Amino acid sequence: MAEKLEDLNLPNASVQKIIKDALPESVNIGKDARSALSRAASVFVLYVTSQASKEAQKSHRKTLMGQDVLNALEELEFEEFLEPLQELHKSFQDSKKQGKNPKKKNASTDDVEMVEEIEDSAEENLEEEAAD
Amino acid sequence: MSRIKTIMRSDPDCNIISQDAVYLVTKATEMFIEFLGKEAAKTTINTKRKTVMKRDVDSAIDQVSHLCFLEGALEWQ
Repeated sequence: MAEKLEDLNLPNASVQKIIKDALPESVNIGKDARSALSRAASVFVLYVTSQASKEAQKSHRKTLMGQDVLNALEELEFEEFLEPLQELHKSFQDSKKQGKNPKKKNASTDDVEMVEEIEDSAEENLEEEAAD
Repeated sequence: MSRIKTIMRSDPDCNIISQDAVYLVTKATEMFIEFLGKEAAKTTINTKRKTVMKRDVDSAIDQVSHLCFLEGALEWQ
């Protein structure tokens, strides 16, 4: 696998934003520290993923589920993350259920509306280009 | 979020990953960055500086026991 190390890093801008929001106004973050945090985060992803896939294997599953991630975090002593993540997990699952609309008519209308929106914006873009 | 998915897929033991697993790992990673950043900043503030340096991050890793998986990980180039 010819993946460069950079590809396994998270986008710098996202990391920077999270750190900035986390730290008090008076504190800045140095370039070295930011890239260290970014790399730490990538290692964290791998670490949690690896643990989560062990959790999935324990339950004789090949698919990595959200619950495996939560169990992994508990195993890795990140219990402080668990409560908010459980809330997020729940609301994520709820929003997914809402997305799958049982009434087929509504679902297709939504799709049509979305397509119309895309077409409208595409037309606007064309008009703008023509104006230039 | 797609970068996180890429990293997750690079794990050889990992085959199929559900959407909510990727979502949770993404959120957990955000929380982790915030957590590690704040821990590092504690050292910065304690030493009366205003810029968090790499050594503050290292110090946070040493101090928080369950961050031991990061030891040596930050010495990559």
